[in-house]
Amino acid sequence: MQQFVNTVLGGLTIGMVYAAFALALVLIWRSTRIVNFAQAPMAMVTTFIALQIIEAGHSYWLAFAAALVAGLVLGAVVERVLIRPVEGKAEINAVILTLGLFIVLHALASVVFGNRYRSFPAAFGIRGLEVGDTTIALTGFDIFTILAVLAVMGLLVLLFRFTDLGLRMRAAAFNQEVARLLGVRVGRMLTLGWALASLVGSLAGLLIAGGSLVHPGYMDAVVVYGFVAAVLGGLDSPAGAVVGGLLLGLSLSLVSGYVGSQLVALAALAILMAVLLLRPQGLFSQARERRV
Amino acid sequence: MLEVRDLSTSYGAVRALSDVTFTAATGEVTAVLGANGAGKTTLLRTITGLVRAQGGSATYDGRELTRTAPELMPGLGIAHVPEGRGVITELTVDENLRLGGLGRGGRVRSEDLERVYALFPALADRRSALAHVLSGGERQMLVLGRALMAEPTVLLLDEPSLGLAPRIVAQLFELVQSLVVDQGLTVLLVEQNARSALSIAHRGVVLSLGRVVVDERADVLAEDDQLRHAYLGF
Repeated sequence: MQQFVNTVLGGLTIGMVYAAFALALVLIWRSTRIVNFAQAPMAMVTTFIALQIIEAGHSYWLAFAAALVAGLVLGAVVERVLIRPVEGKAEINAVILTLGLFIVLHALASVVFGNRYRSFPAAFGIRGLEVGDTTIALTGFDIFTILAVLAVMGLLVLLFRFTDLGLRMRAAAFNQEVARLLGVRVGRMLTLGWALASLVGSLAGLLIAGGSLVHPGYMDAVVVYGFVAAVLGGLDSPAGAVVGGLLLGLSLSLVSGYVGSQLVALAALAILMAVLLLRPQGLFSQARERRV
Repeated sequence: MLEVRDLSTSYGAVRALSDVTFTAATGEVTAVLGANGAGKTTLLRTITGLVRAQGGSATYDGRELTRTAPELMPGLGIAHVPEGRGVITELTVDENLRLGGLGRGGRVRSEDLERVYALFPALADRRSALAHVLSGGERQMLVLGRALMAEPTVLLLDEPSLGLAPRIVAQLFELVQSLVVDQGLTVLLVEQNARSALSIAHRGVVLSLGRVVVDERADVLAEDDQLRHAYLGF
């Protein structure tokens, strides 16, 4: 029983991180039809920025905030400099560019930050909480992880559902031409969308790094899981990304706990295959007919 | 007064508009008629800058429009209402209307929303429904209502009757006419349904292969059997 509880708790925690990462992918996908493969190294770079700040003797929270701001800026810059010039051309151009950015950021990080493992501190204890006389596998940092992702998601919901800016952003994502005719600065909205997505990705990077080791490739596995989570939920649906992330985190945690941790990557692939075969539009996407 | 002068554009090697010249007088309905592919939709898209003009101009109150970004149109009082599929189906009816109100800059006033809902009671019953579930007629009402949210002085309507039952078309045109009479709107009405369009228009401009072939008072155009047979097919 205790093992089951611990497996589920661990699954939920990592699931929240996958959810955040999937959300970052979905935010960009639904406004531009681009899968941003560079999301992982972008988050890696901002995590290293945080690490540099911490190692320079500043507080964890300053570093945390700086990394999120860096994520915001990096996302905006990538959209303006890299993606904007190929806008209106086939989406594959932009996708290839994000792959190129993936490689470039990796290489740059190795040069600038060093291609070795460095430990990244956690803001809260990474010892399991004690419940009665047993210790459960939920640490203070896990709770922070869950709350941080929930808070960011809550803020995004508020932004998109209840503000004029959010309405403009959604309009720009769904129908660029109509949005323009209604006075929406579509270009600005796309930049902002990339910036927000990159911020959420940076958050995922910081949360995975907390209390663990980072190196230039530490986020690469997460992009795979985040992508599976996004597909699971339906690439179009932010809510789906969150549920997909949690489902994936739980499933993989159960596989790891009861079957064997070496099968986790295989299980993720199996889930991806099953979703694509049985429900290719994902669990949550309102399958919309596309006019030809 | 919306003045179109020598407006030309092309898609690749295909000439879509050739030296189109006409004037849409303030407070009047000017119908732009013609067969499929005559360039009617392209004309609207070129005026609001969605398609780049290769020559000529379209001016409103002395302001050149074809070289102004489309997103600035609402601020100039110009509402380009695309065909019925211009509703954003992923947003609710209310959100579509609010979006229209944002175009003018500033916040959406609830009295503006209520004014539009009063014009289109069918929409008022479905405020929080996704536009996805609306019928063709309701969608057309929604795009028209959304345009009115920005309190435009010029309406550019692209085939509002497309795919609608005659009864709905009659209602819609009646409403457009009342807007012109009550609020002094200037309307450029692109239509294939020439008979209905001419019934509310003051002037009719007929396009054929991207050229203006007739520019005549609507009542004259509707009465002239030769012109009607030659260009309008009724």
